[in-house]
Amino acid sequence: MLSTSFSSALRADEAPASTGEQIYRDQCARCHGKSGEGVADGYPDPLAGDKSVVELTKLIHETMPDDADGKCPAEDSAKVAAYIFDAFYSPDARLKNKPARIELSRLTVRQHQNAVADLIASFHPPAAWGTERGLHAAYYNSRHFNQDKLKLERTDAEVNFDWGDSSPAPDKLEPKEFSVTWQGSLLAPDTGDYAFVVRTEHAVRLYVNDNAKPMIDAWVLSGDETEHHGELHLLGGRMYPIKLEFSRGKQGVNDKEKDKEKKKEFRPDAKTAISLEWKRPNHTLEVIASRSLSPAESPVVFVAQTRFPPDDRSTGYERATAISKSWDEATTECALETAAYVADHLQQLSGTTADADANEPILRKFYTLFDERAFRRPLTEDEQKFFIQHQFESAPDRLTGVKRCVLLALKSPQFLYREVGEKSDDAYAVAARLSFGLWDSLPDEELAKAAAHHELATREQVAAQLQRMLPDLRTKSKLRDFLLGWLKISQPRDLSKDPQTYPDFTPDAASDLRTSLELSLDELLGSNSGDYRQLLLSDSIWLNGRLAHIYGVDLPADAPFQKVDFEPDHRAGVLSHPYLLASFAYSGASSPIHRGVFLSRNILGRVLRPPAMAVAPLPAEVHANLSTRERVALQTQPEACQGCHGMINPLGFTMENFDAIGRYRERDKDHTIDATGSYLTETGAVEKFKGIKDLAEFVATSDESQTAFVKQLFHHTVKQSIYAYGPNELRQLQQHFAANDFNIQKLLVEIVADSARTNQDSTTKVTKETK
Amino acid sequence: MPTFTSRREFLRRLGLSSAALPFVLNLPSFGFAAEASAARRQRLIVMFSPNGVVPENFWPQGTGSEFVLKESTLPLEPFKNQSLFLHGISDKIRGDGDNHMRGIGCLLTGTELFPGNIQGGSDTPAGWSKGISIDQEIKNFLQANPQTRTRFGSLEFGVMVPDRADTWTRMSYAGPNKPLTPIDDPYQMFAKLYGRAKDEESLRSVLDDLQADFKKVEHVVSSEDRHLLEEHTTFVREMEQDLKANTPQNVGHAVPQLDPGVKEENDNIPRLSKLQTELLVSSFAADFARVATFQFTNSVGEAHMHWLDIKEGHHQLSHEPDTNIEAVEKLTRINQWYCEQLAYLAQRLADTPEPGGGGSLLDNTLIVWANELGKGNTHTMDNIPFVLVGGGLDFAMGRSLKFKKQPHNRLLLSLAHGFGHRIEKFGNPDYCGDGPLDQLT
Repeated sequence: MLSTSFSSALRADEAPASTGEQIYRDQCARCHGKSGEGVADGYPDPLAGDKSVVELTKLIHETMPDDADGKCPAEDSAKVAAYIFDAFYSPDARLKNKPARIELSRLTVRQHQNAVADLIASFHPPAAWGTERGLHAAYYNSRHFNQDKLKLERTDAEVNFDWGDSSPAPDKLEPKEFSVTWQGSLLAPDTGDYAFVVRTEHAVRLYVNDNAKPMIDAWVLSGDETEHHGELHLLGGRMYPIKLEFSRGKQGVNDKEKDKEKKKEFRPDAKTAISLEWKRPNHTLEVIASRSLSPAESPVVFVAQTRFPPDDRSTGYERATAISKSWDEATTECALETAAYVADHLQQLSGTTADADANEPILRKFYTLFDERAFRRPLTEDEQKFFIQHQFESAPDRLTGVKRCVLLALKSPQFLYREVGEKSDDAYAVAARLSFGLWDSLPDEELAKAAAHHELATREQVAAQLQRMLPDLRTKSKLRDFLLGWLKISQPRDLSKDPQTYPDFTPDAASDLRTSLELSLDELLGSNSGDYRQLLLSDSIWLNGRLAHIYGVDLPADAPFQKVDFEPDHRAGVLSHPYLLASFAYSGASSPIHRGVFLSRNILGRVLRPPAMAVAPLPAEVHANLSTRERVALQTQPEACQGCHGMINPLGFTMENFDAIGRYRERDKDHTIDATGSYLTETGAVEKFKGIKDLAEFVATSDESQTAFVKQLFHHTVKQSIYAYGPNELRQLQQHFAANDFNIQKLLVEIVADSARTNQDSTTKVTKETK
Repeated sequence: MPTFTSRREFLRRLGLSSAALPFVLNLPSFGFAAEASAARRQRLIVMFSPNGVVPENFWPQGTGSEFVLKESTLPLEPFKNQSLFLHGISDKIRGDGDNHMRGIGCLLTGTELFPGNIQGGSDTPAGWSKGISIDQEIKNFLQANPQTRTRFGSLEFGVMVPDRADTWTRMSYAGPNKPLTPIDDPYQMFAKLYGRAKDEESLRSVLDDLQADFKKVEHVVSSEDRHLLEEHTTFVREMEQDLKANTPQNVGHAVPQLDPGVKEENDNIPRLSKLQTELLVSSFAADFARVATFQFTNSVGEAHMHWLDIKEGHHQLSHEPDTNIEAVEKLTRINQWYCEQLAYLAQRLADTPEPGGGGSLLDNTLIVWANELGKGNTHTMDNIPFVLVGGGLDFAMGRSLKFKKQPHNRLLLSLAHGFGHRIEKFGNPDYCGDGPLDQLT
C-alpha cells in the first residue's frame, strides 16, 4: 500500500507520459494485484477473459477506477488494455504464463458406466443395430405360443394396434383366442430413468433387458387394471433386448367344453387392442417409435444401478481431475454390484461347467481377459499371480474368489484412472485414447489386437481404426451428447408456457418439439458428412401433425414426423428451432437476455461472468408501454451491467421475431419488432445483423464461432485442456475443419487422432511430421 | 394408584367403548405405547401347505386340554402343550375364482378376488385379491412404530413355489392387486439377509492388495499428479477403518452357513425346507423381521414326495375318493410330513434363546399352519386346518377347540389384536361382526 501511494505521488510530480505497464502498476494493481491475480480486500477475481483490446479499453474507460472519482482517460485506458491483454488477460497470455498440461484424470462418470457395461458385454456375442426398424412379430392361433399354431410372422413398425372385435388376420387367427410375441431390440437415446407402459385389456408380459424376469407381468388380469407400468435405468446410445407377449383369451385351466356351458368370459366386450409406450428422459409418454426399435436380437446389457456424484462441469465440459469420498464410495458400490453380477452369471460369461476341476484354467483365462480389458493392456505374469491366482488361493471358497477378483480389478487405480497403468508411449495407451475419445469406453477386441500387433504406430493406422469405430452407436451417442450440450439442452428445461396465451402448447407438444430437434441432430449424425454449416443454415424442420398445427404448417392432424420446409424467409437452422427459442424464454414472453447469454457462451464461446448483483427482471406491467426490447435495454442500462450486456443484449435481440414458443411474429403487442443486433468480435470488428438469419450466417462462416465449436468439441472428446496439446493445436484443428467442408465427424476423427498420439509427459506429438 | 397389567385392562376399567379405542391408542401419553414391544418382541409365522387334509386323521380326538393327536399331527406331540387346534373355522369368501384360487388368495386377506382372466377348474375366472393380507397388515402396524420397527418388517419364504405369478401361487398381498412373491431360493434369501455382510468381508480381504496396487502406480505418475493418488489412498484407508468399525457385523448371532448348491427341484424339497427354516429362525434371532410367511409349493401344489415312497403328485392324490384307502393313507402321510416341518420349525425356535433373555424364540412366536381347503376331494372351505403353535400372542395353548362354522376373518382379527392392533374389521366386514374369536385367550 505504501509503495503504491508513493509511486502515485511521484507520478503527480513527474513523468506525464507513462507506459500501460506503469499506469497499471500505479493505478490498478492496488485492487487487481501485480499480475492481475486479484486482491482479497480489493477486487478478488483474477483479470482473465476473452474480451478484445477494444472492448477492454471501453470497459476501463467507462468503469475505472472503481474506488475513486474521475475516469481513466481514453488514451490511458487503451494503453492499460493493451498491456494487460498481452501480460496476463488473454487466453494466449495465460497459456504463456502457465502452460497447460495433460492432467491425471480418473474415468468420468459416463466413462465409468460405459466401461463397466462394455467390460461385461465383451464376454457376450456382439450385436448389430442393423438398418431394419420395428420389432419381429409372431402371431399364434392359440392363447399360448405353441409353435404348431404359429400362423403369421412379420415386422411391425411399432406396437400400437386396435383390432376392435376382429383379429389381426381374420383368416388365420380366432378373434377371441390368439397370442402374439413382439421381439427385438430397443435403442435408449439418453442415459436416465425410463418408464414403460403397456395398455391393453388382455394378458400381457413385457421384458426389457432381462430375458428371464418380466418388467411388467400382467398375465393375471385383475379388476379394472388395463394400464401396466415398469421402470428401468438405462445407459444412452445402447441397444437392449425387448420382448412383449400378448394373449387374448382366458388363462389358467383350459377346458373348452365346460367353457361353452357356463363359464363367463372376463371382459367379454373388451376390444382387442394394445399399445407399447415409454417415457424417455426429458419427454412425455409416447408410443415407442419404430426408429427406436430393431428386429435384431441383442444380448442383455449389464447396467450398474449405482448412482455416482456428477462430474465437475464448471469449465464447460466434464472433467475428472478431482476425486471425492462420495465418488470413491460409488466406485466401491459399483464394484460390488458388478462382482455380484459376475458371480451370478459366471457360467455364461466364462464358459465354466459343473466339473470343478476343469474350471480352474477356464476361470484363470476368464479373469486374465477381464483384467486385461479393464486395465487396457496385457498383464505380466507377476500381475496375473497378484490379481488372480492369489485371490483364488486365499479365498475360503470359489465364489468368494470370483468376487474378490472383480473387486480388486474395479477398485484398482489401473482401472479407475486414465494413463496410469500403461507406459504412455506404447500402443495400448494409444488404443485406450482412441476408444475413450470416440466412445467414452474401453478398447474393443480389434483395438487390443491392433495394439498387440504394433498397428497403431502411424497416423494412417490410427485413422483407419477411427474410421472403423465411427459408425458405432457409442460414437453417435457421444456426438449427440456434445451437440445437446453445445445447444445447452442436455439438462432438463422447463418448457411450461402460459396456457392462456398458448393453449395448444401442452407438455406433449413440448416433448414432440424436443423430438423434432433430436431428429435433426440424429439425421446429421446418421450421415458421415455432418456439416456444421448445414446445421446452422438448413431451411427445413421435422414436424408431426400436432406441431404443424401449432406452427402453422399444413399437415394432417395425425401425421407422423416428417421433414418439411419451414419459413425459409425468417428462419435458418438450429438457432431458429422453436425448441431452443422456447427454452430460452419466459412462460409468456421472449427473453432476449437468456437467448443472448446462450448465443454468447455456447455458440460464440465467450466467457461471461455471473451478474455483479442478483437482479429480478422488470415485470412487463411496470412499463406497459415498452416493448420487450426496450424494457431489457432499460434494465441493463447501468454501467455495471453493460460490461456483459453490451454483448448479450444485441445478440439476444436478433431473436426477437420469435415469441415464447418460438413462433414467428412481426409485432410485440403494439410495437413493431426490431430484430437488429450486433456483435463486437474478438478482433474488435463490429458485425451487424438484421434478425436471426444474418446471425446464423455469421456463426456458420466466421472463424471465431467455428473455433469456439472446435474447442468445445475437443474438450468434450478429450476431457483435457486443448492448450496442453500445444499452442497451435486449436488453430490447426480449425483449419482442418474449414478444409474439410466443416464435416463434424472428420473433425472428431482429427481431434482423437491428434490427442491419441500425444503423450502426457510431453506436449509434442509422437510423430507429428508424418501428418 | 392402581396399576394395570395391560392397556386392555386399563381401558376396560375406564369403561371405554371399543369405538373409542383408535383414538385412545394413538395417545402416546398413556404410557402403554410400548407395552407390546419394549416388554417383549412378538412374532408371527404363517406356514402354508396345500390341497386340504384327511379330517379323521388330522383333527385330534377330544376337546379342551384333554385331547389325543391323530396320525397326521403326531409330530406335534413334543409341543402339544404349546399347540392350539381350531376346528370349525370356515373361509366364507365367495365370488370369482375356484376354491383353490380363493382358498389361497382369500386365506390371509379375508376378502374376495377381483374379476379377472384366470380360469380355474370350475367357477368363474378371477384375478388378484381385493385386499391386503393380515401378515402385511400386522407388518405395517409394527413398522409404523419405531419401537417395533425392524430391517425388513416381514419376510416371505417359500419352498418350491412354481416360477409363475398367478392366483394359485400367491398368498401375501401388500394391498389390492399387489401380490408379494415369496423367495423360494435359499441362496437368494441368504443374499437378501446377509449379502451386505458377505460383501464387506470380501472387500476387507482385498484392501491390503489394493493398497499395494496403489503403491505400484504412484511412482509412474508425475509429482504434480501424485497428490490425487495420495488423496485416493486416504479414502482407501478410511474405508478400511469404516469396515473395521462394522466388524463383527451386528447381526446378533453367527451368520448361518448354507450347504452350497442345493438345486430347486422336487426331490430336494426336504433339504430346501431345512435351509429355509434355518434362515427364518436366524432372521428372527437377528430381529430382521417379526412377521414371516412360509409357503410350501402352492395352492393345488403337485409335490411328488418320493422320499415317502409316494409316486403320485399331491394334488392328483387329493382328488381321490375317500374309498381309495391307499390314497387316504398317502394323503395322511403327506400331511404328516408337512407337520414334521412345522414341528422342526417349532423345535428350532424353541432351541434358540430369545436375545436379551426371556425364554426361547418359540415363547414369543406364534406359528399359524394353514391350508387353502378343508378337504381335498370335496374342495370344501369349511374346517380349514388351522393349527397354532407357540406363545407369541398369549393365546391359551395346549387345547383343541371346536367352533361352529365361524368365519376365518375372526381369526385374522385375533392375530391383529394379539399384536395390540385392535382393528374392528379385516377383509370383508360382513364376516367380522362378532370381532376376534372367543376362547383363544
